[in-house]
Amino acid sequence: MKKSKVLNRNHILFLFTLPILIMYCVFFIIPLLMGMKNSFTDWSGTSPDYNFIGIKNYIDIFQDERFRNALIFNFKYTILLTVGTVIISLIIAIVLNQKIRGRGFFRSVFFLPAILSLVTVGLIWNELFYRVIPLIGEATGWGLFESSWLGSPKLAMYAILLVNLWQGCATPIVLLIAGLQSVPQDLYEAAAIDGANAWQRFKSITIPYLIPVLNIVIVTSVKGGLTTFDYIKAMTDGGPMQSTESVGILIYNHAMQEGRFGYSVAESMILFLIIALVSVVTMRMTENKKVGD
Amino acid sequence: MTKNKNILGRGVSYLIAAVGALVILLPFYVTVITAFKTPEQSAKNFFSFPTGLYLDNFKSVFEKAGYFKYFMNSVIVTVSSLILIYILVTMISYAIARSMRRSGYYKVIYGLIVLGMFVPFQVIMVPLVQFMGGLGLSNKFGLILLHVTYAAMQAVFLLVNYIRNVPEDLEEAAYIDGCTTVQAYVKIVLPLLKPMTSTVLVLNALWIWNDFQMPLMILNKLPETWTLPLFQYNFKSQYSFDYNMAFASYLIAMIPVLIAYICAQKHIVAGLTAGAVKS
Repeated sequence: MKKSKVLNRNHILFLFTLPILIMYCVFFIIPLLMGMKNSFTDWSGTSPDYNFIGIKNYIDIFQDERFRNALIFNFKYTILLTVGTVIISLIIAIVLNQKIRGRGFFRSVFFLPAILSLVTVGLIWNELFYRVIPLIGEATGWGLFESSWLGSPKLAMYAILLVNLWQGCATPIVLLIAGLQSVPQDLYEAAAIDGANAWQRFKSITIPYLIPVLNIVIVTSVKGGLTTFDYIKAMTDGGPMQSTESVGILIYNHAMQEGRFGYSVAESMILFLIIALVSVVTMRMTENKKVGD
Repeated sequence: MTKNKNILGRGVSYLIAAVGALVILLPFYVTVITAFKTPEQSAKNFFSFPTGLYLDNFKSVFEKAGYFKYFMNSVIVTVSSLILIYILVTMISYAIARSMRRSGYYKVIYGLIVLGMFVPFQVIMVPLVQFMGGLGLSNKFGLILLHVTYAAMQAVFLLVNYIRNVPEDLEEAAYIDGCTTVQAYVKIVLPLLKPMTSTVLVLNALWIWNDFQMPLMILNKLPETWTLPLFQYNFKSQYSFDYNMAFASYLIAMIPVLIAYICAQKHIVAGLTAGAVKS
């Protein structure tokens, strides 16, 4: 009697796994394998026939200056985004964790960007850059504000980065505030009695308690930076002069607009390897810190 | 001396909070005032308050663009996806968490699904478009299935880790009382998982409502199935000359989430942090 019940439970648990597992295989594993196969072909995406060309796509990519530029763009962008996100959201979280007046109001305001779509945010800022920057330029006479930053190959990346930070810091701020609240207050008091100054208290008490949250923040913004797509699509679409063409945009353009399906999939495979590698390294780095502290 | 330092510190805190809030609110302010102005008024003074209640921008967005249709599309896609996520993802996470130690099968599927978190969407984006087209799923239904599948990766990871820390005693007691596995799951386990399921649902509600990449791939050719972000994007390309109208469309697209945020702010923030900070 008891045995049959255990068996029954195991069957039901097995059935519980099936819907998602089947969907996962159909909508994730199969496309992934199809993509791997296509990356060894010269398929255009629309023509009925194609040829297997071995690893030619991969060899071509390593000599492709456009891909290399996109990759450099992604790395620069990711580093600036991650450092910016950590510093800004840490500062704001610490400020909002103090007993200042209107704390609830400020917290609601700082989380506000997180609920908006990246496209809406991108489009609004697009107009702001286009309309407001020249106004500032007129008022100050500074060359930097002559025209929208999005139109300048040199400044476009920083403009996109600014918008990404405007929205991207919202969730980390909320998470970090919750992290700060998990720090036991008596630790600070004990440290203060022992003569530790504010910086020492921050370094040896606050940071170790925040490591798990910082870990999430860093890994998310690294991945967000390496796969960035929406803001660029909404603001510059890779321009001007391909100066903001991220790998994500490049893959989209090759596949959807330039008829190089096979090639674009090979590019995405390389992006996958890079992201896997960077993710592992990032997690190792933050992991070590936790032990060291 | 410490008192002076304290006052200085507070001053700096207020300054940072105020400047930051201003930076966050400025785009909202500009969106609202521009949506209520005529192009001539905006050209005269970009930052000034609208002089009268000018509603033609909104009228055009509703009439020319059929905003309501896209709004309903977004609602249908988001709500259906969330219901499926709540039912199906919690089920598989429970099965994995309770059987992982006992059976290799669950360990393997757990590893497989969590691995998916590290695969960037661009890797599957291109084959996926081709594949969904081939299956005849380049529509809202296909989009829902995709959202559920891609939400599952992170959600399974969060839920499995949470369920493993929920003691099994209560379930066992229920079995002794004669509950079946399904009854025990629905009546005992699901309520215990509320903190983590709310985190998962909040995260995915924000993601699915605002998602642009997947709808762009799957639905762009069928205007009647567009979700709001896709409508935004295409509306902008079509009416880029009239930016007051564009801002009216941004404002209208923002309003549903703003209302949801104002009503459920506490739950959203609590849901977001309940799971994340613990892990």
